[in-house]
Amino acid sequence: MNVRDVALVGGTTTKFGIRSSTWAELAQEVGAALFREIPELRAEDVDSFFLGAAEPERFAFQSHVAPFAAEQMGLRPHRIIQRTELACASGQSAIRSAYAAIASGLSDIAVAVGVEKMNLPSMAEANTSMACVMDRAWDGPHGATAPPFFAMVAQRHQLEYGTTEDQMAAVSEKNHRFANSNPEAQFYEKKFSRDKLLRLPVVAPPLRLGDCSSMTDGAAAVVLVAAEFVRSYTDRPAWIRGTGQYSNFHNLANAGSLTDWAGLRHAAREAFARAGIGADQVDFAEVHDCFTISEIIEYEMFGWAAPGQGGRFAADGQADVGGKVVVNPRGGLLGCGHPLGATGIAQAVEVHRQFAGTVPLARAVPDPEWALVHNLSGSANVHSVMIYQRGGAA
Amino acid sequence: MSAGTRPHRSRATGTPAAVGPASTPSAGPAPAPPAREKRPFLLDFFPLQTSDQTRLSKFFDRLKEGAVSTTRCPKDQVLLWPPRTACPICHGETLEWVDLPGRGHLYAFSAVLGGAPLGMESEVPFAVGLVDLEGAPLRLFGRVEGRPWSELYIGQPVRLESYDIGDGRWFYRFRTET
Repeated sequence: MNVRDVALVGGTTTKFGIRSSTWAELAQEVGAALFREIPELRAEDVDSFFLGAAEPERFAFQSHVAPFAAEQMGLRPHRIIQRTELACASGQSAIRSAYAAIASGLSDIAVAVGVEKMNLPSMAEANTSMACVMDRAWDGPHGATAPPFFAMVAQRHQLEYGTTEDQMAAVSEKNHRFANSNPEAQFYEKKFSRDKLLRLPVVAPPLRLGDCSSMTDGAAAVVLVAAEFVRSYTDRPAWIRGTGQYSNFHNLANAGSLTDWAGLRHAAREAFARAGIGADQVDFAEVHDCFTISEIIEYEMFGWAAPGQGGRFAADGQADVGGKVVVNPRGGLLGCGHPLGATGIAQAVEVHRQFAGTVPLARAVPDPEWALVHNLSGSANVHSVMIYQRGGAA
Repeated sequence: MSAGTRPHRSRATGTPAAVGPASTPSAGPAPAPPAREKRPFLLDFFPLQTSDQTRLSKFFDRLKEGAVSTTRCPKDQVLLWPPRTACPICHGETLEWVDLPGRGHLYAFSAVLGGAPLGMESEVPFAVGLVDLEGAPLRLFGRVEGRPWSELYIGQPVRLESYDIGDGRWFYRFRTET
């Protein structure tokens, strides 16, 4: 079977943050924004719909969420409608599923959307929901949530490679600074110097508050189409050129090394091979900085930094504009917040905007051709990678 | 809807005749008190442990006797964690139970200083860690009791212990060696 070329032709996000809006209202808001953003988009042309939502049953007490969201957005998909759930990577899963559907010829025009509502009157209940991402029966009773797990990752990276709190703060400072040019980011108007970050309270030692992404409400949506339909929507498409994914383990006992994320190396190799490029050709990357240590290890696994040198790579500005590769110009999960299902979609929106040249100068990547998006999920046990190439009038 | 237009008391709306006869609440004897409503069964983090709910009930039986055990595939001789009903390698479903060594060393640790799930808020701060068991190729995750998190160190000796969670179920955790 021939695989068709697939392009992302546009997208948008809501404001991320602590929102006075329900799950359904966020879906309506992103639907309205999407139709404003892409005036050529007609609801009746959207044949398929993929919803990335991590925990609507717990955060919003709502199942069967794909048709629920489609109705909020005014869509009546007539080929494929489904939810994709992969915890923190649920959004990228929606894009990947839309890509597969279009590439195979089952869909021509698809909307991929992510919605998450995480801030509830009881944050202990929200924390409980987050803990269910782990092996609930065997890791959960001990109090396994993301912060203590990634804290152990940071502790091992410090022990094995000498990574410092100051190097971790360099990641957080960069991503918060980029977020200051992104009005949709949760921390748009919040300034974080390295000194300030190093004075924030410890959440799970050695991680401080500024090392951790937030519980965030938000939604994001993109439109993906087959090559023959691109011209109807844009002359600045972002072509999907490669994908890779790897699921390595689930129970924490089966993690192996905490600092060598073999699953990410596998997923990256697959994605690069499909795109026909190497890591050095990536102009910018939206990677999963759920914690500062995650981004540091990701530099190493993608091959931008040598093993163990991710902390130095950050502190030396190699992930900043003017460095080896611009990482998280959108502001990352640290600066934008992390509404689980919406994150992967919002990262793809940033890719399209960077290619189209519509982002503020403060975070604009000069003349980008190749972009990479990465999400990890759970305890970094699953890694998802997509590679985009700029197309159209340059 | 503004506060002024929101009725605070229920009020009849529409025309009852159009939807059928209205009930007559004042007629007849007082209804019998409703049967006590059965409360929903909350799935907390702790696994269900009895043989009517799980084929791994032997794990919890051994836990009550003070031993943490797991399953091993007799064909592959691979020690599996958590205990399972089918081998993930050969997919055989006849697994054997073995007791795990009771001692190990901290491979990594951290602590939860805030943001704990429901039911654990009163336990904050608490330490968790990954422990390399002595004499078994397993690295188990668990709560670490015995010392405040700030006094823990990588390589610290710990031992496994079982404990009654208070509702008839048991679980396991680590305790620092004295």
